[in-house]
Amino acid sequence: MASITITINGQKIPAQTGQTVLEAARTAGIEIPTLCDHPALKPIGACRVCLVEVAGQRALQPACTFPVADKMDVQTESPKVVQARKFVMELIFTERNHFCMYCEMSGGCELQNLAYRYGIDHMTYPSYVQPFPVDASPLHFLLDHNRCVLCRRCMRMCADLVANHTLDMRQRGAATMVQADMNLPIGQSSCISCGNCLDVCPTGALIDKRSAFMARDAQSEHVKSVCSQCSLGCGVDIVTRAGNVLRLQGDPDGPVNRGLLCQKGRFDSLYVERTRILAPLVRVREKQQEVDWAEALKAVAERLGRTAAPKLGVLASSHATNEALYLLGKLFVKELKAGQVGLLNQVVPALSKKVQGSLGDVLAGDCIVVVGADPVKDQPVASFFVKKAADAGARLIVVEDAESSLAAFAETTLGLREVRKAVDAAKAAQKPVVLYGTGMTDEAAKELKSLDGKALFIPLQPGVNTYAAVRFGLDRGLDSSGLEVLYILAGEQDVDGREILKKVGKAAFVIVQASYASALTERADVVLPMATWAERSGTLTSTTGVVQEVRKVTESQGASKADWEILSLLAEKMGKKLGASLDEIAVNAAQQLQ
Amino acid sequence: MAKVTVATDWLAACAGCHMSLLDIDERIVGLLDLVEFTSSPVTDLKHPPKEGVTVGILTGAISNTHNVEVARRMRERCKILIALGDCATFGGIVATRNLAGTDACLKRAYLEAESVVDGVIPGCPELGIPLDTVTGIGDVVKVDLYIPGCPPSADAIYFALSELLAGRVPVVLPAEHFKYD
Repeated sequence: MASITITINGQKIPAQTGQTVLEAARTAGIEIPTLCDHPALKPIGACRVCLVEVAGQRALQPACTFPVADKMDVQTESPKVVQARKFVMELIFTERNHFCMYCEMSGGCELQNLAYRYGIDHMTYPSYVQPFPVDASPLHFLLDHNRCVLCRRCMRMCADLVANHTLDMRQRGAATMVQADMNLPIGQSSCISCGNCLDVCPTGALIDKRSAFMARDAQSEHVKSVCSQCSLGCGVDIVTRAGNVLRLQGDPDGPVNRGLLCQKGRFDSLYVERTRILAPLVRVREKQQEVDWAEALKAVAERLGRTAAPKLGVLASSHATNEALYLLGKLFVKELKAGQVGLLNQVVPALSKKVQGSLGDVLAGDCIVVVGADPVKDQPVASFFVKKAADAGARLIVVEDAESSLAAFAETTLGLREVRKAVDAAKAAQKPVVLYGTGMTDEAAKELKSLDGKALFIPLQPGVNTYAAVRFGLDRGLDSSGLEVLYILAGEQDVDGREILKKVGKAAFVIVQASYASALTERADVVLPMATWAERSGTLTSTTGVVQEVRKVTESQGASKADWEILSLLAEKMGKKLGASLDEIAVNAAQQLQ
Repeated sequence: MAKVTVATDWLAACAGCHMSLLDIDERIVGLLDLVEFTSSPVTDLKHPPKEGVTVGILTGAISNTHNVEVARRMRERCKILIALGDCATFGGIVATRNLAGTDACLKRAYLEAESVVDGVIPGCPELGIPLDTVTGIGDVVKVDLYIPGCPPSADAIYFALSELLAGRVPVVLPAEHFKYD
């Protein structure tokens, strides 16, 4: 890279060799309109909206792909450029159905904005009226080919960032269409419903079914938060209108996911059909009765107060905020000295004491070893990074006894007993990265530890906030037999309550803090209704130990309260001072996490 | 000074653009000091006068032969022709018929619809004959000013008329009055 000077619209600006005209212009604060270009994707010059006049060039050139050269003279809004740009837009407009008045994207459409900017008030060319099909086969979204401008952003997202290679183009010329696999309906294709193509579509071609036509861009609000569906801690942009969650989009500034989301995070979190618990319940003479919070908390506090520590058990779900898990640890482990403490999911141990890697490091790796984990199923966004690294030429070695969905993308698949082969391959590589999950055996862990200092280790914790739960001393393995009182923070986790209750004695007093009805809440003597992910603020710790803020975007349903608030009120009822406000608790929790 | 004469008419339209014209509200009273609305579909006199008007406003798309006649008559009788609304400028909602085809739409509406009993596709010498393709009016007559919008806002219409009254031609719609939905 060498520093050069180019002239744009008569203004001399500095540029670097290797930059495109568009990059150089943006760096200098000069705006060139674009349509197919997207900050997260490689430019391909598909739409020709960014055409500029370059002195000495026979024809107009697309700024997004044209490299700068020293003393280059560029015009971005000359009459010739504007005429060509309007011509290009008119061709796009007349090719398919681009009538805005009944389009979901109107008001937030990049094509529409361009046409407004250049004052396109009528069409010079007759409309091409060939109708295209609408593919509504996916459960969560649809592809209306009639609204497509063939910018190929979805295709590039699918291939370059998600590394799934489902979307492609078929046919030529005016008949060109986006297709899934070899022309299958998307719902029957290799599509993994991550929905990242929805985030980059500039028009109304790819739209979310659930939120379609529910709000124009100007009517909706965007709140940056963090996904609560797995332990990765992906940044999400929660789109709401009047306090209702419309949809989730990837947060392009999310340090973990860099804008990518998966089906679990984007869609599943909004398609929950379980029954909510809306009021505190207390069992009176064999029957659960709705009571107010004061009565429910009194019943819990009173019972906890007269239970001997060894006979008290606490079981935590990792689907909870740092603040809730901190309070749970403080109240039950430190203060009440509960005899039995357990976590609802397994935990993977740290393989190194050094600072561990982040997902971004996977992309720089040249040998990726995945041990005892199936990120495709459990932490899908991590699998995008792994698949992308493999696409870029990194060796991908899957070490797993169970069936792994990553195996199809791997160079080699080994059994856990053969882990040494993977270790040898990693040792021979320049930048090896090891991702590991709960399937890793002790022997495999021992072998992998020999890579300490050489490889970056990225644990893939099951659950959500498992990292924090371990730090707050909640992972000790619970034996529920013989307990007199068991407090279960089930949260939003969809757990097999019957399995948990098997060893719980008939006479045991069970308190369940949960968002949804389950076998646990049916058995409970007291049920404390808990707010869900969109209804509470707090912080979450990612699988690599990064603390991030989650934000409340909608009012909690019924009488349900935030996970930490319930425990804070309970502590207060028991006369323990563990912090009164969210801020105070968050600070205390953060200190203990360091 | 003689008032400026304005005539409006509609083609294949939903009347929304005329509603938007009425939405100019009390400002229309001030406008009437300067402008004479000679005829419109919402007044007693429906057709533009033979002696002609200064400004003709057409809403709606060209969907049948009758629409073509009405558009041509307005063009002959006005000096400045305004295409008002998305249907008049682009074909709009009416143009979605193009995606299915005129014959298929007639069949669906008059023969196959669930509520139809002994259906007949209407045909009568007094009715216009549906065209194969729906277009904006610019495909049939020369248009002097396009105001897109579904419907265009009352402010956009008021702005355009005010500009014309002030003699500022051609009218350039500012960004805040320019929209397609």
